[in-house]
Order: sequence, then structure tokens, then C-alpha cells
Amino acid sequence: MAESRLAILRLCLLLLAGLLGGCALPPLTPAPDLPPRQTLGEVPFFAQQRYQCGPAALAGVLAWSGVAVTPAELTPRLYTPALRGTLQAELLAAARRYGRVAYRLPTHTEALLQNLAEGTPVLVLQNLGLGWLPRWHYAVVVGYDLEADVITLHSGLEANHRTALDTFRRTWARADHWAMVALPPDLLPASATRADWLAGAAALERVGRAGAARQAYVQALRRWPDEPLARLGLGNSAFALDDLAGAEAAFRRLLQQRPGMAAAHNNLALVLQARGRLAEARAEAERAVDLGGPHAAAYADTLALILRQQAGPTRPPQP
Amino acid sequence: MMSRFPRLQRRLSAFLFLNMLLSSLFLPAAQAGMVGTEALLDTAQAEQQRAHLQGLLQREDLASELRAAGVEPQQVQARVDALSDTEVAGLVHRLEQVPAGGDVLALAVFLFLVLLVTDIAGYTEIFPFVKHRAR
Repeated sequence: MAESRLAILRLCLLLLAGLLGGCALPPLTPAPDLPPRQTLGEVPFFAQQRYQCGPAALAGVLAWSGVAVTPAELTPRLYTPALRGTLQAELLAAARRYGRVAYRLPTHTEALLQNLAEGTPVLVLQNLGLGWLPRWHYAVVVGYDLEADVITLHSGLEANHRTALDTFRRTWARADHWAMVALPPDLLPASATRADWLAGAAALERVGRAGAARQAYVQALRRWPDEPLARLGLGNSAFALDDLAGAEAAFRRLLQQRPGMAAAHNNLALVLQARGRLAEARAEAERAVDLGGPHAAAYADTLALILRQQAGPTRPPQP
Repeated sequence: MMSRFPRLQRRLSAFLFLNMLLSSLFLPAAQAGMVGTEALLDTAQAEQQRAHLQGLLQREDLASELRAAGVEPQQVQARVDALSDTEVAGLVHRLEQVPAGGDVLALAVFLFLVLLVTDIAGYTEIFPFVKHRAR
């Protein structure tokens, strides 16, 4: 009797161990020049209210980046009552609306540590529960100590909460290794990839933060001077800021570097049209239409617009 | 009472017409045709991901794994060509999560499963043993 009970207990323990220890962590291989410990002292901490870890975490990261904002101001934009929480995409979108270059980090711990070493706080999603019983939580990683195997987070009600690195890696892995940064547009970290930075800058352009987008493209071109899409973005953001001369210069330089880039011809045509040089504009638009490509419909629109304007001065609308 | 409605309707439609006319006049027309950087980034990324997938299928070791499983790599290539940009992105994303990217067998099994699932769903006809309903 006692033996069979023991056997059942053993079985239960075994099952529990199977559930808890499901994922083995791969060994950590940080870059050899990674400092063994880092503490970011200047990341503001906002204690979260119930279910409000998303706004609290984002407010901390934004405040670090120089945007004065409180969780209460972010909540109406971020909190989804039905979910009792915040979606990851909304965090990225909100950071962009405040003119920050925001992007998701690669999904390995080394990238996270690298960003901290460079001085950037990292907003992470954790699943503090289990895969089948999730408890989602956002926090801001503000430091690490590889010798003590500890990571430091602004989390929930606790600033500088120290937790075992392996525990963090497990809770983070259960949330798909989701991590993001939100950077001032004039601060391009060494570890940022070209694709991530450009995606962040282009998103700023899309949401109408042309000034911030321009700064981000300037930084990109400083590091990757031949990147055509950064040059295109520089022209686009200059145009959006009504700097027509700057936009023209950017597109012309891009075309020297990449002759036959249809989108550059198209956008240059629109700048020239705005400057009232319709003949030149038409030539550029025709070139774009000839080249075609996935955005051919936009080029045709541009040409049609210029041809209409060339056909005669626009008549005042008839009532 | 009822006779008032047509007049209201006329006024309303005149108002809406004027509104549309004015808003189309004052829209920054030039901005509308500008090709945004994000649109080009998306195109570039989609091309890159497609090339990555195709490059993977060019690998001789993977091709022979697939052949051993009875799948012609060319058919898989054709399938990748037929995928939309979003589907390619999803596939590449899932490929990245296959443990140990260098493990050919794991990749082959993964591709096999993905294609098998899409085959059953009726999107592809790569595997002869999957019975397709006549459509």
C-alpha cells in the first residue's frame, strides 16, 4: 500500500519535472569583449498598476530616451481592456508616434546583453506562468552581471529587481524571446543592424514623424553611406518637411549611385513638380514609368498628375 | 412631414459633394504619388527572403534528403515561387525556429511537413499520395 503510494508520488514528481524542465537552455556565448557586468542607473522606474505593465515599461524606456511621458498618458493608447494587457505591436507603434526609432531585437540573449552593454535599456515580454497557463508580463532590463549570473529588471512594483539569468531566459523564451528598444533618432547603437534601423526609420516616415525620420536616415548614412534606401528616405523626409532643395539633392545623388531606380525617378519628379519645373518633372516621371516595377501604378499617377498640370493652368472649380 | 426629407437629402448630398470636392482639392496631391521608403523596404525584404529559401533548396545535401523522401526539389522550388510574400516571410520565420540551422535532416523534415500540410489543404499538389478533391 505504502509502496504504491510512493510510486504514484514518484510518477507525479516525474510529470511535474517534465512540465517544468521542458526546455533546456543553450549555453550562453557572449561576445568576448562584452563587459562582465553593466548597470544602467538612469532608466526611470514607473511602478505599474494592475495589468498595466505595458504602459509602465514603455514609459520607462521612453523617459530614458528623452520623452517625458507617464504610464497614465500611454494607457489609453496601449491598454486593450478585453486582453487586460497590451499587444507587442502597439508598443512599437506607440514608441514611433513619440518619434523614437523602435524595433524588435534578435531573439537571442547575446543581442539583449549587447544592447545593455551599449547603454540601451531593453523592453522585454516574459511569460511568468507556463506555456499552457501563461501569465504575460512586460519589464525593462536595466542591467546584468555575468559573474553572478543575474539580470536586473524594472518590473511590476519593484525597481532593480534581480533575478537569476537562467530563470529570466526561460520566462523570456516562453514569450518567444520578444524584446524591443526605443532609441532617440540621432543615437544609432553599434549593434543595430542596417535592416532593423532602416525599418524603424521608415516607420517614423510612415507615421508622419518626418523630422525624426530625417535624423534617423542621416545617422544611417553616416554608418552605411551607400545604402540606397536610407538616401531615398532622406529625400522623402526632406520633402515631407518642405525642404524641396534638400529632397532634390538627395534623389539626384541616389540616382547617380543607382541609375535606373524607378522609385527615385518618381519621387524626384514630384519634387520638381512642387518646384514648378514641369518639363524636368515630366522627363523623370516618364523614366519611372518606362522602368516600371512593383510600384508602377504610383509612377503612372505621378505622370498623369504632371501631364494634367502641364496641359494648362488649373481652372478654378466651377460651383 | 415626409415632403421635408427629399429636400434634406438634396442638401445633404450637395454638402457631401462639396465636401469631397474641397477635400480632394486641398489634399497634398504630390504626396499621394510619393513612394515611401517602407514600401521599398518591404519589397527588398521579400525578395531577399525568397532568395534565401531558393538558395536553401539549391543546397545539394538538402536536395538529396528531399529526393530520398520522394520529393523533387524542383517541385519545391515551384511551390516557393508560387507563395505570396507574406507566406514566404512566414516560412522563413518558422525556418529560423528550426533548432540548429545547419542540421539538414531537420530542415528537410520541416520543409516536408510544411509542404505536406499545404498539400492536404489543397494549395499544392506535390505529393501523389494526398488525395485531392475535384474542385
